[in-house]
Amino acid sequence: MTPSPSPINRPAVVAVSLWVGLLIGISRWVGLQSYHWFPVQASNAAPLVDGLFSFETTIGTFVFLAVASVMAWVILRHRAEKYDASDAEPIEGNTKLEIIWTAIPFVLVMAIAVYAMKVNTSLGVLGPMEHIHLADAREQQGGYPGDRLPAESIEVVARQWSWEFRYPEAGVSSTELHLPLDQPVTFRLVSEDVLHGFYIPAFRLKQDVIPGRAINFNLTPTRIGRYRLRDSQFSGTWFAANQADVVVDSQDDYQAWLKQAAALPLQAGISDAVVEYQQRLQQTPTPGWATVKPAPPPQVNVPGSNALPHDA
Amino acid sequence: MCPDPMPFPTTPEAMTTTPSLHQDQPPLSWTRYFGFSTDAKVIGIQYIVLAFFFFLIGGFLAMIIRGELITPPADLVDRTVYNGLYTMHGTIMLFLFIFPVLNGLNNLLIPTMIGAPDMAFPRLNTAAFWLVPVFGLLLIASFFVPGGPAYSGWWSYPPVSIQNPLGNLISGQSLWLLAVALSGVSSIMGAINFVTTILRMRAPGMTLFRMPVFCWTALAAQSLQLIGLPALTGGAVMLLFDLTVGTSFYRPEGGGDPVLYQHFFWFYSHPAVYVIILPVFGVFSELFPVYSRKPLFGYVYVCLASFIIVGLGLIVWVHHMFPSGVTMWMRNLFMFTTMLIAVPTGVKVFAWLGTIWRGKLQLTTPMLFCLGGLINFVFSGITGIMLATVPIDIHVSNTYFVVGHFHYVIYGAAVMGIFAAIYHWFPKFTGRMPYEGLGKLHFVLTFIGANLNFLPMHPLGLMGMPRRVSSYDPEFAFWNVLASLGAFLLGVSIIPFLLNMISSWARGPKATHNPWNAIGLEWLLPSPPPVENFEEHVPTVISRPYGYGTGLPLVEHQAEIERQLTLQEASA
Amino acid sequence: MTTTTPQPLAEHGEAHGGHNMTGFIIFLCSESVIFLAFFSGYALLKLSALNWLPAGVEGLEWRTPLLNTVVLVSSSGTIVLAEHFKAKDKLWLFRGFWLLTMAMGSYFLYGQAVEWGGLQFGFTSGTFGGTFYLLTGFHGLHVATGILLMGLMLVKSFLPGNYVGGEQGVQATSLFWHFVDVIWIVLFLLIYVWQG
Repeated sequence: MTPSPSPINRPAVVAVSLWVGLLIGISRWVGLQSYHWFPVQASNAAPLVDGLFSFETTIGTFVFLAVASVMAWVILRHRAEKYDASDAEPIEGNTKLEIIWTAIPFVLVMAIAVYAMKVNTSLGVLGPMEHIHLADAREQQGGYPGDRLPAESIEVVARQWSWEFRYPEAGVSSTELHLPLDQPVTFRLVSEDVLHGFYIPAFRLKQDVIPGRAINFNLTPTRIGRYRLRDSQFSGTWFAANQADVVVDSQDDYQAWLKQAAALPLQAGISDAVVEYQQRLQQTPTPGWATVKPAPPPQVNVPGSNALPHDA
Repeated sequence: MCPDPMPFPTTPEAMTTTPSLHQDQPPLSWTRYFGFSTDAKVIGIQYIVLAFFFFLIGGFLAMIIRGELITPPADLVDRTVYNGLYTMHGTIMLFLFIFPVLNGLNNLLIPTMIGAPDMAFPRLNTAAFWLVPVFGLLLIASFFVPGGPAYSGWWSYPPVSIQNPLGNLISGQSLWLLAVALSGVSSIMGAINFVTTILRMRAPGMTLFRMPVFCWTALAAQSLQLIGLPALTGGAVMLLFDLTVGTSFYRPEGGGDPVLYQHFFWFYSHPAVYVIILPVFGVFSELFPVYSRKPLFGYVYVCLASFIIVGLGLIVWVHHMFPSGVTMWMRNLFMFTTMLIAVPTGVKVFAWLGTIWRGKLQLTTPMLFCLGGLINFVFSGITGIMLATVPIDIHVSNTYFVVGHFHYVIYGAAVMGIFAAIYHWFPKFTGRMPYEGLGKLHFVLTFIGANLNFLPMHPLGLMGMPRRVSSYDPEFAFWNVLASLGAFLLGVSIIPFLLNMISSWARGPKATHNPWNAIGLEWLLPSPPPVENFEEHVPTVISRPYGYGTGLPLVEHQAEIERQLTLQEASA
Repeated sequence: MTTTTPQPLAEHGEAHGGHNMTGFIIFLCSESVIFLAFFSGYALLKLSALNWLPAGVEGLEWRTPLLNTVVLVSSSGTIVLAEHFKAKDKLWLFRGFWLLTMAMGSYFLYGQAVEWGGLQFGFTSGTFGGTFYLLTGFHGLHVATGILLMGLMLVKSFLPGNYVGGEQGVQATSLFWHFVDVIWIVLFLLIYVWQG
């Protein structure tokens, strides 16, 4: 911290060491605090992401406080006297210091990057992203075509502005996503119009849904509860209202739900956009600027709800 | 409104050593700021004033946005209006405020700092400037076309941006694209001019490693413009064709790929962040030595770091697309390159700390803005590292965490640095001193306002609130209220600034040629400098910049030049 | 360096003109990035396409375009010859070769127009049609600009004393022409040769 290593000033060294120790303590505490800044952990990815974030918060807090300490010290102690216009001692640089403060950040960020890469690998979230014809993904309204998909995955269809979830094995479709606890799930993400973002904050996972591609995406829910799925890639007028609920059930409840759902007739699913669009049409003159018309609500077995209290 | 020109020096030696005006030149009128001037100093002020006009418009839009977001439901404006407003807020702030204001600083500072009489291509410079009001009008006009302005965000990602609900050829989106294209043309014209000027028109003796850091950073930033901007232009041309004539470059129905656009867009728009922040690094590097009365610590490393940032800046763009359709190896590769940017940036931050360490700090308004900007920048750098790590980015990308991060970079660091630069060089180019009291009030309001506005966005993002939403779940309300209050405070903070600028230019105390006792060629010119700066009498540079405390003169015959300037000031 | 040239400061706007070539070279470097963007876009779209060629289109005929290519690339030689005679002050030979270069450029454009006229697909025929017309069209625009610039320089050569102050216009035009040629070679390889 001190650029002039002339005769070693014992009290200064002790004071700086104590201060650094204090900063390390504070940084560690902030790093632990950072776990509370997130929603509940509801997938196997969440602890890994939160752990990495806590690690980076600890380092980041230390760097920030160290810089702030130097600045505060300089502002308090190295201020020119009033009317003192003289120059300070001209220190033009120090190659040794330059090397140190190039090397330390380099090592730090590389350590973080390697840590992050390991997290990436162990998550293995992302599967293949095959190109598909959009015309093939666009299916007529009216339930789930059971013959086209691999049986073990859940198809997520994003539209302007609704989410539809299709369970090929059970022949069920819904506008509320149900998942079994502690079971790895593979999603097949497709969009019928524009880019959308499949984002469940409690799972710490997000993947853009891209028209013209089918993207495979894996996760494992680890906590029973009701969570929010939000559209994370701007998709037009009702982007903000394009939310669905994700319900993580126990194995038994999940199977029961599937069985119950399969017996239900098709009905209109949830689309807040359609509701708001109808209200908009009632008003004269039509408020605001031009908008794309929302797609009709998907025909599903279970509309579910997106208005119940959610855990995150 | 404008001070009188320099009186003509009478002593014979003045003819050979000091800058002088042509005797027959008529007094400069303030009306020159409203015409097609080719003088870089006039154009510079035109850029800055026009930029702040658009800053007020963009800021007004931000107030409406924060007004909408102070409550969870979409209740203040219609959702379509909200989307148009946030799109135009970003577009205006970037293309009509921050780039023009920086080009204004370039115009003022590059020729005077390197001792050139003007830019290399003065008429190209004029044309580049006058394109700004043209595309500015175009953007403002897009509010009034049927269907309203562009609403797809400043990224204009297809397919949303090519949906064109009314089907008109003249839509908000097509006008937006036209305006951005013109902005690109203007920036390229400017970049060619700045680079040529820096490379070819430096004063005798001013080698590259005797050049002020601001010119280094300007050179680096403008090189990025030259490399990056054409890629965006290419991508935007294809988007325009998709929108207007129905090609399918990005249209999935025709086999196109919407992700391709994102590559074009971010290949430019990530480096664009460095185009913004590099000159501000330059400002920090100029100002910390002046107000610490010490040389810049590690001048050569600071210069070189700018170009390392340029090199790395061109190979990091995919970090904006981690959750888009890119494969795992791309995620990992671009995480590493992005992380590396922390190294040259760290070199700069430590160099500034080394500069102020054991200095004799003068906490003037410009210095306060620099210190505040620096601490904000360090904070945004740390959140930047977090965003570079893929697993965290997967969670917080496209959330308010990102909005908070880049507002810290752009408002917290860059705009604060720009304010510092304006207060510091105001006396040089207007000949009047700004008021310290108002300046410090402006600093305090800006610093508190910016932090109150942008800090709460980080917890919001971590909690999972997406950016660009017109409504949100009630659990996000608390932090949003704080952010909105901060935004309104920022709105108030601009009042003392405007008051200061107008009143001190009109009737502030006259400035001497070097009120801050700074070292640099521009401070060896009268305030304000004559039209052609040094004309034929360009001093020969004999040492590195920032020789504070070394006692070394910057140029040959420095004492004589300064004596002449003081004499002129005394006789005025 | 301008700052040391003792030229009279005639008109402010023209006082600092000695850097046109530097500026022009910087411009060309920057311009090449647009082409680079289009090239990489073409390659990416082609590599990821499910059906690259529109229905009913077999591929591109390459023999006539090859002839066009030979003509355009040789015109880089004729413009060098023209410059050579210019340097030796043989103005009429310069004009001759300059005109020949213009003719070859025009022939290329004519050939391109004929090719466009006979194609089975349009600008909106998928990504193949889009990129084909975008690339060839944008390049053609540059060829046309080059011919226009050459015409301007040709007219200038008849004005007395016009080349006294330097021949940067001729140099710049020639440089631009080489640039256009190099771009075409890459383009030809990408579009006509790489058809697999």
